[in-house]
Amino acid sequence: MNMLELSHVAKRFGEKQVLRDVTFSVPEHSVFGFVGKNGAGKTTAMKLILGLLSSDSGEISVNGSTVCYGTTKTNRFVGYLPDVPEFYPFMTPREYLRFCGEISGMKAGEIESRSEELLALVGLEKDNRRLKGFSRGMKQRLGIAQALLGRPKLLICDEPTSALDPAGRKELLDILADAREQTTVLFSTHILSDVEHICDQIAFLHEGKIVLQGTLKEVRAKRKDAAVELELERPEDAPLLIRVFHDLKSKGRGRFLLEDAGRLPELFRFLADSRISVLRIERREASIEDLFMEVVGK
Amino acid sequence: MTAFMKKEWMELCRSGRLLVLFLLFSLLGIMNPALAKLTPWLVETLSESLADAGIAAAAVTVDAMSSWAQFYKNFPLGMVFFILLTSGSFTTEYQKGTLIPVVTRGLTRRNIVLAKSLVIVALWTVMYWLCFGITCGYNAYIWDNKAANHLYFAAALAWLFGIWITSFVLLFSAVAQSGAQVLAGTGAIALGVYLLSLFPKFGRFLPIRFLDGMSLLQGVTSVCDYAVSATAAVFVSFLCIILAVVCFDRKQL
Repeated sequence: MNMLELSHVAKRFGEKQVLRDVTFSVPEHSVFGFVGKNGAGKTTAMKLILGLLSSDSGEISVNGSTVCYGTTKTNRFVGYLPDVPEFYPFMTPREYLRFCGEISGMKAGEIESRSEELLALVGLEKDNRRLKGFSRGMKQRLGIAQALLGRPKLLICDEPTSALDPAGRKELLDILADAREQTTVLFSTHILSDVEHICDQIAFLHEGKIVLQGTLKEVRAKRKDAAVELELERPEDAPLLIRVFHDLKSKGRGRFLLEDAGRLPELFRFLADSRISVLRIERREASIEDLFMEVVGK
Repeated sequence: MTAFMKKEWMELCRSGRLLVLFLLFSLLGIMNPALAKLTPWLVETLSESLADAGIAAAAVTVDAMSSWAQFYKNFPLGMVFFILLTSGSFTTEYQKGTLIPVVTRGLTRRNIVLAKSLVIVALWTVMYWLCFGITCGYNAYIWDNKAANHLYFAAALAWLFGIWITSFVLLFSAVAQSGAQVLAGTGAIALGVYLLSLFPKFGRFLPIRFLDGMSLLQGVTSVCDYAVSATAAVFVSFLCIILAVVCFDRKQL
Protein backbone atom coordinates (compact mmCIF):
# COMPACT_ATOMS: atom_id res chain seq x y z
CA MET A 1 0.00 0.00 0.00
CA ASN A 2 1.14 3.52 -0.69
CA MET A 3 1.51 5.76 2.34
CA LEU A 4 1.72 8.92 0.26
CA GLU A 5 0.47 9.68 -3.21
CA LEU A 6 0.81 12.82 -5.26
CA SER A 7 -0.91 13.01 -8.61
CA HIS A 8 -0.43 15.84 -11.09
CA VAL A 9 0.28 18.41 -8.42
CA ALA A 10 1.06 21.94 -9.57
CA LYS A 11 1.83 25.09 -7.65
CA ARG A 12 2.78 28.58 -8.68
CA PHE A 13 3.85 31.61 -6.67
CA GLY A 14 2.93 34.65 -8.72
CA GLU A 15 4.87 34.40 -11.96
CA LYS A 16 6.98 31.48 -10.86
CA GLN A 17 5.76 27.95 -11.57
CA VAL A 18 7.32 26.11 -8.65
CA LEU A 19 5.87 22.65 -9.24
CA ARG A 20 4.40 21.26 -12.44
CA ASP A 21 2.64 17.95 -12.82
CA VAL A 22 4.40 16.24 -9.94
CA THR A 23 3.32 12.63 -9.59
CA PHE A 24 4.89 10.05 -7.34
CA SER A 25 4.01 7.63 -4.59
CA VAL A 26 5.79 6.37 -1.52
CA PRO A 27 5.14 2.75 -0.49
CA GLU A 28 4.71 1.86 3.15
CA HIS A 29 7.87 1.15 5.18
CA SER A 30 10.25 2.59 2.66
CA VAL A 31 12.74 5.41 2.78
CA PHE A 32 12.06 7.79 -0.05
CA GLY A 33 14.73 10.30 -1.05
CA PHE A 34 13.58 13.51 -2.62
CA VAL A 35 16.53 14.99 -4.43
CA GLY A 36 16.93 18.36 -6.05
CA LYS A 37 19.00 21.49 -6.16
CA ASN A 38 18.26 24.42 -3.87
CA GLY A 39 15.08 26.04 -5.09
CA ALA A 40 13.91 23.00 -7.07
CA GLY A 41 10.62 22.95 -5.16
CA LYS A 42 11.30 20.30 -2.51
CA THR A 43 10.15 22.37 0.45
CA THR A 44 7.09 23.56 -1.44
CA ALA A 45 6.12 19.96 -2.22
CA MET A 46 6.48 19.03 1.44
CA LYS A 47 4.43 22.00 2.60
CA LEU A 48 1.70 20.95 0.19
CA ILE A 49 1.70 17.47 1.68
CA LEU A 50 1.34 19.02 5.14
CA GLY A 51 -1.51 21.29 4.07
CA LEU A 52 0.54 24.39 4.84
CA LEU A 53 0.11 25.58 1.25
CA SER A 54 -2.75 25.07 -1.14
CA SER A 55 -2.02 23.39 -4.46
CA ASP A 56 -3.28 24.90 -7.71
CA SER A 57 -4.22 21.54 -9.16
CA GLY A 58 -3.72 17.86 -8.54
CA GLU A 59 -4.41 15.69 -5.54
CA ILE A 60 -2.38 14.55 -2.55
CA SER A 61 -3.33 11.74 -0.23
CA VAL A 62 -1.71 10.47 2.94
CA ASN A 63 -2.59 6.98 4.19
CA GLY A 64 -5.59 6.96 1.89
CA SER A 65 -7.08 10.31 2.99
CA THR A 66 -6.98 13.42 0.87
CA VAL A 67 -4.97 16.40 2.11
CA CYS A 68 -6.74 19.75 2.25
CA TYR A 69 -5.30 23.18 2.93
CA GLY A 70 -5.48 24.72 6.39
CA THR A 71 -6.38 22.25 9.07
CA THR A 72 -5.96 18.85 7.52
CA LYS A 73 -6.89 15.65 9.28
CA THR A 74 -4.11 13.79 7.50
CA ASN A 75 -1.55 15.51 9.71
CA ARG A 76 -2.33 13.10 12.51
CA PHE A 77 -0.45 10.45 10.53
CA VAL A 78 2.50 12.71 9.88
CA GLY A 79 5.62 13.72 11.77
CA TYR A 80 7.37 16.72 10.29
CA LEU A 81 10.86 18.10 10.65
CA PRO A 82 11.11 21.54 8.99
CA ASP A 83 14.28 22.59 7.18
CA VAL A 84 15.11 25.16 9.86
CA PRO A 85 13.27 23.94 12.95
CA GLU A 86 12.33 26.70 15.38
CA PHE A 87 10.99 26.05 18.84
CA TYR A 88 9.87 28.17 21.77
CA PRO A 89 13.11 29.51 23.23
CA PHE A 90 11.75 29.64 26.78
CA MET A 91 11.16 25.90 27.03
CA THR A 92 13.52 23.03 27.79
CA PRO A 93 13.60 20.04 25.41
CA ARG A 94 11.48 17.95 27.80
CA GLU A 95 8.91 20.72 28.18
CA TYR A 96 8.73 21.13 24.43
CA LEU A 97 8.12 17.43 23.88
CA ARG A 98 5.46 17.46 26.58
CA PHE A 99 3.80 20.42 24.86
CA CYS A 100 3.85 18.56 21.53
CA GLY A 101 2.47 15.42 23.10
CA GLU A 102 -0.34 17.29 24.84
CA ILE A 103 -1.33 19.01 21.61
CA SER A 104 -1.59 15.73 19.79
CA GLY A 105 -3.61 14.28 22.67
CA MET A 106 -1.13 11.71 23.97
CA LYS A 107 -1.43 10.38 27.51
CA ALA A 108 0.89 11.86 30.15
CA GLY A 109 2.63 8.57 30.92
CA GLU A 110 3.23 7.85 27.28
CA ILE A 111 4.62 11.33 26.66
CA GLU A 112 7.02 10.87 29.55
CA SER A 113 8.38 7.49 28.47
CA ARG A 114 8.48 8.34 24.77
CA SER A 115 10.29 11.65 25.47
CA GLU A 116 13.02 9.93 27.46
CA GLU A 117 13.44 7.29 24.80
CA LEU A 118 13.68 9.84 21.98
CA LEU A 119 15.91 12.30 23.83
CA ALA A 120 18.31 9.44 24.44
CA LEU A 121 18.08 8.48 20.78
CA VAL A 122 19.04 11.96 19.58
CA GLY A 123 21.59 12.50 22.34
CA LEU A 124 19.87 15.32 24.23
CA GLU A 125 18.90 13.39 27.36
CA LYS A 126 21.24 15.35 29.61
CA ASP A 127 20.36 18.78 28.27
CA ASN A 128 18.04 20.64 30.58
CA ARG A 129 18.82 24.11 29.35
CA ARG A 130 16.23 26.24 27.66
CA LEU A 131 16.16 26.05 23.89
CA LYS A 132 17.34 29.66 23.59
CA GLY A 133 20.97 28.57 23.68
CA PHE A 134 20.63 25.66 21.26
CA SER A 135 22.70 25.50 18.10
CA ARG A 136 21.06 24.68 14.79
CA GLY A 137 22.35 21.13 14.94
CA MET A 138 20.87 20.63 18.40
CA LYS A 139 17.57 22.03 17.23
CA GLN A 140 17.68 19.59 14.36
CA ARG A 141 18.12 16.75 16.83
CA LEU A 142 15.20 17.94 18.92
CA GLY A 143 13.28 18.37 15.68
CA ILE A 144 13.66 14.71 14.81
CA ALA A 145 12.61 13.77 18.35
CA GLN A 146 9.42 15.84 18.15
CA ALA A 147 8.67 14.47 14.69
CA LEU A 148 8.90 10.87 15.93
CA LEU A 149 7.05 11.55 19.21
CA GLY A 150 3.59 10.48 18.12
CA ARG A 151 4.82 7.38 16.24
CA PRO A 152 3.78 8.85 12.89
CA LYS A 153 2.96 6.65 9.93
CA LEU A 154 4.74 9.05 7.66
CA LEU A 155 7.84 10.97 8.65
CA ILE A 156 8.63 14.00 6.51
CA CYS A 157 12.07 15.53 6.92
CA ASP A 158 13.17 18.59 5.02
CA GLU A 159 16.93 18.41 4.57
CA PRO A 160 17.46 16.79 7.94
CA THR A 161 21.22 16.46 7.66
CA SER A 162 22.07 19.94 6.46
CA ALA A 163 23.03 21.48 9.82
CA LEU A 164 24.73 18.50 11.38
CA ASP A 165 28.37 17.65 11.94
CA PRO A 166 29.65 14.47 10.22
CA ALA A 167 29.07 12.31 13.29
CA GLY A 168 25.61 13.77 13.80
CA ARG A 169 24.79 13.18 10.17
CA LYS A 170 25.67 9.54 10.36
CA GLU A 171 23.62 9.18 13.54
CA LEU A 172 20.65 10.87 11.94
CA LEU A 173 20.83 8.69 8.86
CA ASP A 174 20.93 5.65 11.12
CA ILE A 175 17.87 6.91 12.98
CA LEU A 176 16.02 7.36 9.69
CA ALA A 177 17.07 3.94 8.44
CA ASP A 178 15.91 2.35 11.71
CA ALA A 179 12.66 4.27 11.61
CA ARG A 180 11.75 2.35 8.46
CA GLU A 181 10.60 -0.56 10.64
CA GLN A 182 7.83 1.51 12.19
CA THR A 183 7.15 4.24 9.72
CA THR A 184 7.59 5.48 6.19
CA VAL A 185 10.17 8.15 5.59
CA LEU A 186 10.16 10.89 3.00
CA PHE A 187 13.20 13.08 3.16
CA SER A 188 14.60 15.74 0.93
CA THR A 189 18.25 16.43 0.46
CA HIS A 190 20.82 17.70 -1.92
CA ILE A 191 23.52 15.55 -0.38
CA LEU A 192 23.62 12.58 -2.70
CA SER A 193 25.70 10.28 -0.55
CA ASP A 194 22.88 10.38 2.03
CA VAL A 195 20.56 9.03 -0.61
CA GLU A 196 22.91 6.21 -1.53
CA HIS A 197 23.23 5.23 2.13
CA ILE A 198 19.65 4.77 3.15
CA CYS A 199 17.08 5.22 0.40
CA ASP A 200 14.99 2.51 -1.17
CA GLN A 201 13.46 4.85 -3.69
CA ILE A 202 14.39 8.21 -5.06
CA ALA A 203 12.90 10.95 -7.15
CA PHE A 204 14.83 13.77 -8.76
CA LEU A 205 13.06 17.08 -8.80
CA HIS A 206 14.31 19.65 -11.25
CA GLU A 207 12.70 22.97 -12.02
CA GLY A 208 9.46 21.80 -10.49
CA LYS A 209 9.25 18.54 -12.39
CA ILE A 210 10.05 14.98 -11.47
CA VAL A 211 12.73 14.11 -14.00
CA LEU A 212 13.61 10.64 -12.77
CA GLN A 213 12.27 8.26 -10.18
CA GLY A 214 12.34 4.66 -9.10
CA THR A 215 14.20 2.32 -6.78
CA LEU A 216 17.90 2.98 -6.36
CA LYS A 217 18.63 -0.02 -8.56
CA GLU A 218 16.27 1.05 -11.31
CA VAL A 219 17.65 4.53 -11.33
CA ARG A 220 21.21 3.29 -11.51
CA ALA A 221 20.26 0.98 -14.39
CA LYS A 222 18.92 3.94 -16.34
CA ARG A 223 22.34 5.38 -16.53
CA LYS A 224 24.15 4.79 -19.72
CA ASP A 225 27.65 3.32 -19.66
CA ALA A 226 29.98 5.10 -17.36
CA ALA A 227 31.57 8.13 -18.89
CA VAL A 228 35.24 8.48 -19.72
CA GLU A 229 37.31 11.41 -18.63
CA LEU A 230 40.24 12.50 -20.76
CA GLU A 231 42.99 14.96 -20.03
CA LEU A 232 45.35 16.20 -22.74
CA GLU A 233 48.96 17.05 -22.05
CA ARG A 234 48.78 20.12 -24.27
CA PRO A 235 45.53 22.04 -24.01
CA GLU A 236 46.22 23.56 -27.45
CA ASP A 237 45.37 20.18 -29.05
CA ALA A 238 41.82 20.59 -27.84
CA PRO A 239 40.31 22.26 -30.99
CA LEU A 240 41.64 19.45 -33.13
CA LEU A 241 39.86 16.89 -31.02
CA ILE A 242 36.62 18.85 -30.75
CA ARG A 243 36.43 19.14 -34.53
CA VAL A 244 36.03 15.38 -34.88
CA PHE A 245 34.26 14.51 -31.64
CA HIS A 246 31.50 17.10 -31.38
CA ASP A 247 29.85 15.51 -28.36
CA LEU A 248 32.92 15.82 -26.17
CA LYS A 249 32.09 17.94 -23.19
CA SER A 250 34.82 20.37 -22.29
CA LYS A 251 35.61 20.58 -18.60
CA GLY A 252 38.29 23.23 -19.01
CA ARG A 253 42.07 23.24 -19.49
CA GLY A 254 42.39 20.28 -21.82
CA ARG A 255 39.99 18.08 -19.88
CA PHE A 256 37.04 16.43 -21.57
CA LEU A 257 34.20 14.11 -20.75
CA LEU A 258 33.11 11.46 -23.24
CA GLU A 259 29.68 10.29 -22.22
CA ASP A 260 29.22 7.69 -24.92
CA ALA A 261 31.82 5.13 -23.86
CA GLY A 262 31.08 3.15 -27.05
CA ARG A 263 33.13 5.63 -29.02
CA LEU A 264 36.21 4.94 -26.95
CA PRO A 265 38.04 2.77 -29.59
CA GLU A 266 37.39 5.46 -32.18
CA LEU A 267 38.83 8.07 -29.85
CA PHE A 268 41.92 5.99 -29.19
CA ARG A 269 42.50 5.58 -32.92
CA PHE A 270 42.18 9.31 -33.51
CA LEU A 271 44.53 10.19 -30.66
CA ALA A 272 47.14 7.74 -32.01
CA ASP A 273 46.78 8.92 -35.61
CA SER A 274 46.99 12.61 -34.72
CA ARG A 275 49.79 12.00 -32.25
CA ILE A 276 48.02 13.87 -29.50
CA SER A 277 49.69 13.13 -26.20
CA VAL A 278 47.45 12.27 -23.34
CA LEU A 279 48.01 12.83 -19.66
CA ARG A 280 45.19 10.68 -18.35
CA ILE A 281 42.24 8.60 -19.50
CA GLU A 282 39.93 7.47 -16.77
CA ARG A 283 36.70 5.56 -16.72
CA ARG A 284 34.42 7.15 -14.21
CA GLU A 285 32.36 5.08 -11.84
CA ALA A 286 28.63 5.52 -12.22
CA SER A 287 27.34 7.44 -9.25
CA ILE A 288 24.06 9.02 -8.36
CA GLU A 289 25.86 12.31 -8.55
CA ASP A 290 26.67 11.86 -12.26
CA LEU A 291 23.13 10.88 -12.87
CA PHE A 292 21.89 13.91 -11.04
CA MET A 293 24.16 16.18 -13.01
CA GLU A 294 22.98 14.50 -16.18
CA VAL A 295 19.30 15.01 -15.47
CA VAL A 296 19.69 18.59 -14.39
CA GLY A 297 21.56 19.17 -17.61
CA LYS A 298 25.00 20.18 -16.48
CA MET B 1 -6.12 24.05 23.46
CA THR B 2 -5.30 23.85 27.17
CA ALA B 3 -1.78 22.80 26.23
CA PHE B 4 -1.45 25.87 24.05
CA MET B 5 -2.77 28.14 26.78
CA LYS B 6 -0.28 26.60 29.20
CA LYS B 7 2.44 27.43 26.70
CA GLU B 8 1.20 31.04 26.43
CA TRP B 9 1.23 31.33 30.21
CA MET B 10 4.74 29.89 30.41
CA GLU B 11 5.84 32.38 27.77
CA LEU B 12 4.36 35.30 29.70
CA CYS B 13 6.09 34.24 32.91
CA ARG B 14 9.46 33.30 31.49
CA SER B 15 9.83 36.18 29.06
CA GLY B 16 9.27 38.54 31.99
CA ARG B 17 6.31 40.20 30.29
CA LEU B 18 3.97 39.28 33.10
CA LEU B 19 6.28 40.84 35.66
CA VAL B 20 6.69 44.02 33.63
CA LEU B 21 2.92 44.40 33.23
CA PHE B 22 2.32 43.61 36.89
CA LEU B 23 4.82 46.23 38.03
CA LEU B 24 3.56 48.81 35.55
CA PHE B 25 -0.11 48.46 36.42
CA SER B 26 0.62 48.36 40.17
CA LEU B 27 2.71 51.47 39.82
CA LEU B 28 -0.03 53.24 37.88
CA GLY B 29 -2.52 52.18 40.55
CA ILE B 30 -0.41 53.63 43.34
CA MET B 31 0.53 56.73 41.40
CA ASN B 32 -3.04 58.00 41.03
CA PRO B 33 -3.81 58.60 44.73
CA ALA B 34 -0.17 59.48 45.40
CA LEU B 35 -0.19 62.25 42.83
CA ALA B 36 -3.50 63.53 44.12
CA LYS B 37 -2.20 63.46 47.69
CA LEU B 38 0.99 65.24 46.73
CA THR B 39 -0.64 68.00 44.70
CA PRO B 40 -1.29 70.42 47.64
CA TRP B 41 2.27 69.95 48.84
CA LEU B 42 3.62 70.50 45.32
CA VAL B 43 1.57 73.64 44.90
CA GLU B 44 2.77 74.90 48.26
CA THR B 45 6.43 74.36 47.48
CA LEU B 46 6.03 75.91 44.11
CA SER B 47 3.82 78.76 45.21
CA GLU B 48 6.74 81.08 46.00
CA SER B 49 8.26 80.73 42.59
CA LEU B 50 4.82 80.90 41.08
CA ALA B 51 4.13 84.09 42.99
CA ASP B 52 7.35 85.52 41.63
CA ALA B 53 6.12 84.71 38.17
CA GLY B 54 2.92 86.58 38.96
CA ILE B 55 0.67 83.60 39.38
CA ALA B 56 -1.28 83.44 42.56
CA ALA B 57 -1.63 79.91 43.86
CA ALA B 58 -4.66 79.34 45.99
CA ALA B 59 -4.86 76.54 48.49
CA VAL B 60 -5.84 73.32 46.71
CA THR B 61 -8.18 70.81 48.23
CA VAL B 62 -7.99 67.27 46.96
CA ASP B 63 -10.33 64.37 47.41
CA ALA B 64 -11.05 60.95 45.86
CA MET B 65 -12.25 62.69 42.71
CA SER B 66 -8.78 64.14 42.02
CA SER B 67 -7.37 60.66 42.33
CA TRP B 68 -10.00 59.25 39.96
CA ALA B 69 -9.23 62.05 37.51
CA GLN B 70 -5.62 60.88 37.61
CA PHE B 71 -6.79 57.31 37.07
CA TYR B 72 -8.68 58.14 33.88
CA LYS B 73 -5.76 60.23 32.69
CA ASN B 74 -3.13 57.56 33.37
CA PHE B 75 -4.71 54.25 32.56
CA PRO B 76 -4.52 54.80 28.74
CA LEU B 77 -0.75 54.84 29.23
CA GLY B 78 -0.96 51.37 30.75
CA MET B 79 -3.16 50.31 27.87
CA VAL B 80 -0.63 51.50 25.30
CA PHE B 81 2.08 49.48 27.04
CA PHE B 82 -0.21 46.49 27.17
CA ILE B 83 -0.81 46.71 23.42
CA LEU B 84 2.91 47.14 22.72
CA LEU B 85 3.69 44.01 24.70
CA THR B 86 0.95 41.88 23.17
CA SER B 87 1.19 43.06 19.56
CA GLY B 88 3.92 40.51 18.83
CA SER B 89 2.05 37.56 20.24
CA PHE B 90 1.17 36.14 16.81
CA THR B 91 3.65 37.87 14.56
CA THR B 92 6.82 36.67 16.30
CA GLU B 93 5.47 33.16 15.88
CA TYR B 94 4.94 33.76 12.16
CA GLN B 95 8.41 35.15 11.75
CA LYS B 96 10.09 32.30 13.59
CA GLY B 97 7.85 29.59 12.17
CA THR B 98 7.08 28.20 15.63
CA LEU B 99 3.42 27.67 14.78
CA ILE B 100 4.22 25.25 11.96
CA PRO B 101 5.02 22.25 14.20
CA VAL B 102 1.90 23.09 16.21
CA VAL B 103 -0.38 23.14 13.17
CA THR B 104 1.18 20.04 11.67
CA ARG B 105 0.53 18.22 14.93
CA GLY B 106 -3.15 18.74 14.38
CA LEU B 107 -4.08 21.63 16.69
CA THR B 108 -6.79 23.46 14.75
CA ARG B 109 -6.06 27.02 13.77
CA ARG B 110 -9.29 28.12 15.41
CA ASN B 111 -8.06 26.84 18.75
CA ILE B 112 -4.79 28.70 18.37
CA VAL B 113 -6.60 32.02 17.88
CA LEU B 114 -9.07 31.32 20.65
CA ALA B 115 -6.35 30.25 23.09
CA LYS B 116 -4.29 33.35 22.42
CA SER B 117 -7.37 35.61 22.58
CA LEU B 118 -8.47 34.14 25.89
CA VAL B 119 -5.04 34.59 27.43
CA ILE B 120 -4.71 38.19 26.22
CA VAL B 121 -8.22 39.17 27.31
CA ALA B 122 -7.69 37.52 30.70
CA LEU B 123 -4.37 39.29 31.06
CA TRP B 124 -5.92 42.68 30.32
CA THR B 125 -8.76 41.99 32.74
CA VAL B 126 -6.44 41.03 35.58
CA MET B 127 -4.03 43.91 34.98
CA TYR B 128 -6.74 46.52 34.60
CA TRP B 129 -8.67 45.54 37.71
CA LEU B 130 -5.41 45.30 39.62
CA CYS B 131 -4.68 48.91 38.77
CA PHE B 132 -8.26 49.92 39.53
CA GLY B 133 -8.30 47.95 42.77
CA ILE B 134 -5.16 49.62 44.08
CA THR B 135 -6.42 53.10 43.29
CA CYS B 136 -9.85 52.30 44.70
CA GLY B 137 -8.39 50.90 47.91
CA TYR B 138 -6.17 53.89 48.56
CA ASN B 139 -8.95 56.32 47.73
CA ALA B 140 -11.28 54.64 50.19
CA TYR B 141 -8.55 54.64 52.84
CA ILE B 142 -7.38 58.24 52.39
CA TRP B 143 -10.60 59.93 51.41
CA ASP B 144 -13.94 58.47 50.55
CA ASN B 145 -15.28 57.08 47.30
CA LYS B 146 -18.84 58.16 48.05
CA ALA B 147 -18.51 61.33 45.99
CA ALA B 148 -18.09 59.26 42.84
CA ASN B 149 -21.25 58.21 41.01
CA HIS B 150 -21.34 54.89 39.19
CA LEU B 151 -17.77 54.12 40.20
CA TYR B 152 -17.77 50.49 39.05
CA PHE B 153 -19.82 51.06 35.95
CA ALA B 154 -17.41 53.76 34.77
CA ALA B 155 -14.49 51.44 35.48
CA ALA B 156 -16.16 48.62 33.56
CA LEU B 157 -16.58 50.91 30.55
CA ALA B 158 -12.89 51.76 30.53
CA TRP B 159 -12.14 48.04 30.81
CA LEU B 160 -14.46 47.44 27.84
CA PHE B 161 -12.51 50.02 25.87
CA GLY B 162 -9.39 47.94 26.51
CA ILE B 163 -11.19 44.80 25.30
CA TRP B 164 -12.40 46.65 22.23
CA ILE B 165 -8.91 47.80 21.24
CA THR B 166 -7.44 44.38 22.11
CA SER B 167 -9.87 42.72 19.72
CA PHE B 168 -8.44 44.89 16.96
CA VAL B 169 -4.92 43.86 17.97
CA LEU B 170 -6.06 40.23 17.58
CA LEU B 171 -7.67 40.87 14.22
CA PHE B 172 -4.62 42.64 12.82
CA SER B 173 -2.40 39.91 14.27
CA ALA B 174 -4.26 37.32 12.22
CA VAL B 175 -3.75 39.35 9.05
CA ALA B 176 -0.43 41.17 9.36
CA GLN B 177 3.08 39.80 9.05
CA SER B 178 4.90 41.92 11.62
CA GLY B 179 4.28 43.49 14.98
CA ALA B 180 4.76 46.93 13.46
CA GLN B 181 1.89 46.32 11.06
CA VAL B 182 -0.32 45.27 13.96
CA LEU B 183 0.53 48.45 15.84
CA ALA B 184 0.01 50.60 12.76
CA GLY B 185 -3.38 49.03 12.08
CA THR B 186 -4.54 49.32 15.68
CA GLY B 187 -3.20 52.87 15.88
CA ALA B 188 -5.03 53.82 12.70
CA ILE B 189 -8.30 52.44 14.06
CA ALA B 190 -7.85 54.30 17.34
CA LEU B 191 -7.00 57.53 15.53
CA GLY B 192 -9.89 57.11 13.08
CA VAL B 193 -12.37 56.54 15.87
CA TYR B 194 -10.96 59.50 17.78
CA LEU B 195 -11.38 61.79 14.77
CA LEU B 196 -14.90 60.50 14.18
CA SER B 197 -15.76 61.15 17.79
CA LEU B 198 -15.10 64.84 17.25
CA PHE B 199 -18.39 64.92 15.38
CA PRO B 200 -21.10 64.88 18.04
CA LYS B 201 -23.34 62.91 15.67
CA PHE B 202 -21.08 59.85 15.81
CA GLY B 203 -19.59 60.47 19.24
CA ARG B 204 -22.57 58.88 20.93
CA PHE B 205 -21.85 55.49 19.41
CA LEU B 206 -18.10 55.34 19.77
CA PRO B 207 -16.15 53.73 22.58
CA ILE B 208 -13.77 56.69 22.87
CA ARG B 209 -16.15 58.24 25.38
CA PHE B 210 -15.51 55.30 27.75
CA LEU B 211 -12.14 56.90 28.43
CA ASP B 212 -13.85 59.91 29.94
CA GLY B 213 -15.00 58.17 33.10
CA MET B 214 -15.05 61.46 35.00
CA SER B 215 -18.30 62.64 33.41
CA LEU B 216 -20.03 59.58 34.84
CA LEU B 217 -18.36 59.98 38.21
CA GLN B 218 -19.35 63.63 38.40
CA GLY B 219 -22.87 62.82 37.32
CA VAL B 220 -22.70 64.72 34.02
CA THR B 221 -23.80 61.61 32.15
CA SER B 222 -25.89 58.70 33.26
CA VAL B 223 -25.67 54.95 32.73
CA CYS B 224 -28.36 54.95 30.03
CA ASP B 225 -26.29 57.30 27.87
CA TYR B 226 -23.84 54.49 27.29
CA ALA B 227 -26.26 51.74 26.32
CA VAL B 228 -25.77 52.07 22.57
CA SER B 229 -22.01 52.57 22.55
CA ALA B 230 -21.39 49.75 25.05
CA THR B 231 -23.50 47.33 23.04
CA ALA B 232 -21.71 48.41 19.88
CA ALA B 233 -18.30 47.89 21.49
CA VAL B 234 -19.20 44.39 22.69
CA PHE B 235 -20.55 43.53 19.24
CA VAL B 236 -17.47 44.91 17.46
CA SER B 237 -15.13 43.03 19.80
CA PHE B 238 -16.85 39.72 19.09
CA LEU B 239 -16.92 40.49 15.39
CA CYS B 240 -13.18 41.21 15.38
CA ILE B 241 -12.39 37.92 17.06
CA ILE B 242 -14.63 35.98 14.67
CA LEU B 243 -12.96 37.75 11.73
CA ALA B 244 -9.55 36.95 13.22
CA VAL B 245 -10.48 33.25 13.29
CA VAL B 246 -11.65 33.38 9.67
CA CYS B 247 -8.54 35.23 8.47
CA PHE B 248 -6.18 33.01 10.44
CA ASP B 249 -7.73 29.93 8.83
CA ARG B 250 -6.56 31.21 5.46
CA LYS B 251 -3.25 32.56 6.54
CA GLN B 252 -0.11 31.07 5.12
CA LEU B 253 2.16 30.21 8.02
